[in-house]
Amino acid sequence: MKRIACAVLLTLAVCTVLPAAARAGTPAEAAAALPRLEAAVAADPENLRAASAYRMAVIQAGEYDRCIAFFEKLVTDHPQAANAWLNFGFAYVDKIPAAGSITQVILANDALTRFSKSIEIRKSWLALFTRGNSYLYWPVIFGRAPLGVADLEEAVGIARREEKKRRVYARSFIALGDGYFKTEQLDKAKAVWQEGLTLFPGEPQLQARLARSGNAEELGTYINEQLDPNKRVDTDLLPLVEGE
Amino acid sequence: MKGTAWVLAAGIVLTVQPAPPAAASGERWFADVTEAAGVAVPHTNRSFENPYADIMAGYTALGAAAAVADFDGDGFEDLFVTDSAQGSRNRLFRNNGDFTFTDVAAAAGVAAGNDAANASADALWLDYDGDGRPDLFVVRFGRNQLFHNEGPDAAGNVRFREVTRQAGLDRYANSITAVAFDYDRDGRVDLFVGDYFQPVNLFKPDTPRFFPESFETANNGGGLTVWKNLGGGTFRDTTKEAGFALSGWTLDLGHADADLDGDDDLYVACDFGTDRFFVNNGDGTFRDATKEAIGIDTKKGMNAEWGDYDNDGWLDVFVTNITDEYMREGNFLWRNNGPGPDGKVTFSDVSRETGTHDTGWGWGGKFFDYDNDGWLDLYVVNGWVSAGPQSYVPDVFEMIVRPGVDLADARSWPPMGKKSLSGYQKKRLFHNQGGGLFKDEAARHGLDATRDGRGIAVADFDNDGRLDLFVANANNLPFLYRNQSPASARWAGFLLEGRDGNREAIGAVVKVTAGGRTQLRFVDGGNGFAAQSSRRLHVGLGTAERIDKLEVLWPSGRRQVLENLPAGRYVRLVEGDSK
Repeated sequence: MKRIACAVLLTLAVCTVLPAAARAGTPAEAAAALPRLEAAVAADPENLRAASAYRMAVIQAGEYDRCIAFFEKLVTDHPQAANAWLNFGFAYVDKIPAAGSITQVILANDALTRFSKSIEIRKSWLALFTRGNSYLYWPVIFGRAPLGVADLEEAVGIARREEKKRRVYARSFIALGDGYFKTEQLDKAKAVWQEGLTLFPGEPQLQARLARSGNAEELGTYINEQLDPNKRVDTDLLPLVEGE
Repeated sequence: MKGTAWVLAAGIVLTVQPAPPAAASGERWFADVTEAAGVAVPHTNRSFENPYADIMAGYTALGAAAAVADFDGDGFEDLFVTDSAQGSRNRLFRNNGDFTFTDVAAAAGVAAGNDAANASADALWLDYDGDGRPDLFVVRFGRNQLFHNEGPDAAGNVRFREVTRQAGLDRYANSITAVAFDYDRDGRVDLFVGDYFQPVNLFKPDTPRFFPESFETANNGGGLTVWKNLGGGTFRDTTKEAGFALSGWTLDLGHADADLDGDDDLYVACDFGTDRFFVNNGDGTFRDATKEAIGIDTKKGMNAEWGDYDNDGWLDVFVTNITDEYMREGNFLWRNNGPGPDGKVTFSDVSRETGTHDTGWGWGGKFFDYDNDGWLDLYVVNGWVSAGPQSYVPDVFEMIVRPGVDLADARSWPPMGKKSLSGYQKKRLFHNQGGGLFKDEAARHGLDATRDGRGIAVADFDNDGRLDLFVANANNLPFLYRNQSPASARWAGFLLEGRDGNREAIGAVVKVTAGGRTQLRFVDGGNGFAAQSSRRLHVGLGTAERIDKLEVLWPSGRRQVLENLPAGRYVRLVEGDSK
């Protein structure tokens, strides 16, 4: 039913594009699908599904610079499209695993700049969660974790206020706890994970953290594994917007 | 010979040194004897006096190096150790035979290496003229030095004479490493010199644009220079005709016969960009096989050490990179896959699987079998600058993310001041668990010091069959570690002597079969960052009482086989001697 709703809500172009992207099994096939996917995004710059599908194909094709250039033009043409800026940031994040250690830092910083622009235009749960979570991937020495906590506290605030508790909101509770842990506030971390688990019973990521919360070293190892910048971060927004 | 028994039998010279009391099992197997041995002389970094001095200070914490050779032929390994500060002296520590050393550098004529226009960075012993006496090449930011070993004077003291200019080697270059091997198989040992900065006069730079243009793809470094040994004590630059045109930030060179085709190939470890692997074509030229053999990387290669860690008969490569909280590059342990159906050799990085991935900001790394169990272990030193409690990391990353920053311009870089960068890191002693996994035993054996390590020289300084370590630390005292492991494990040692001009037999490959296992060793001409280890070949034999078979593949192409050799001795093998 959700697929049908998608067809209603989105442009025809996007819904015809999505299956094509899904079919793009090889890098060559993914590359071949890019022009059509780009056209879909250009036609609807705020469309998260279309942009996400495009980026997933880009990852498959390894065409990261093309993607960055595409979003660069898109936000130039549509400077107030908050979701376009968000996806522009994700385009940098997507390239990180393919880059050297120093370039990874530059890309992560570029992504943060774009996420900030998105928040400047429209402060949404998704944008706050995205930027806040991104800060947590930075090594502690850069002092970015407190900035992440600030964003994630706002994101959790939005989640608390929303009547409809979308499942994806659980992610902000997870991330905020991680942020508290990274800023050496273990008690607050446990509390927010516990609150999240009450709101989202059975959430495995919350359970995993709480199960380890009695052993700070074990918990730290677990969280660092989750926030390893060398592992590809799943930036597919489809699971996030599907819950809408 | 100070307690050493020499036995001459049928062309083979054996030396035997009674083993000192060994540590009980479970105790530390290495004792820090730096002070007692008389080698506790600190290294001091070069400080510059130019407009960029404050910035350069953070990037030139280099020059602590050590090179081993028996320069006076008394049967004990001696040490040449560099300093870098202006006016400081390099040291030539003569081994007294009782695990003490005497600095004879000034009397021998090799102390003066650091003046207003030159700073020592590395050293290499090589017998370039095949007279049987090791000569000395001092690698410098500035002009390198070649000293000819003149042999003993009337009083019996060995003297050296600087012959750099006569040899044709007098050229400005910011050199940081050198290895020697006979690349064109003409019977003479050639010189490969790696240069870090481009040849800008670092002491009085006429441009601020001499820093790396990129952190990952920099091509404005010094590259490498090949000096072909022409005989008669002269060399000629054959870099281009040998197939090299590199401009990376070379930090180390390592040579070995990767495909066992009879000629030595070359690994080039580079800072700020990809390492390179060159295959020797066998005709005096090399082919860049980087893409097919190891791939292009963006890391900070600092060490190129070859050894057959898994005893599969192929030489593997260990390369240090930077692994820290802010930069998780990881080392390379390139397992040699051997030549494929197309004859081309390839490597696979197995550092993660073997547990050798993370050694911090790594520098020198050396394979050696410290417990004589028949498996090559690995010692790795690390740490860049250990200074004040504040970290330099945020400063440098602030520069990195600055839009449009010109990294090549030294003025873009923030001064490090009293801050630390990947400092106070513990060294790693990886015990080989049988070819597939290593276990860090540094703390157990007292080798986990936190000084900023650079070069590791491995040698058996007391001829007891157990390999000792000399560690050169930047801006600090060195370490001399005496191996006092239980003496129960068997061993054998070989000193090879070639027939032609390559008298040190550099490049010779030895296969030792004992106790049902075959181990491969080769004579290297200075592999490993900022150090040269003993050119004696050392093999741990475990419980094997004898060597069943010894096969030598000489650089000349000659093959020699010996059988049924005793363990627990150093044996001099002379090329062509059938016994």
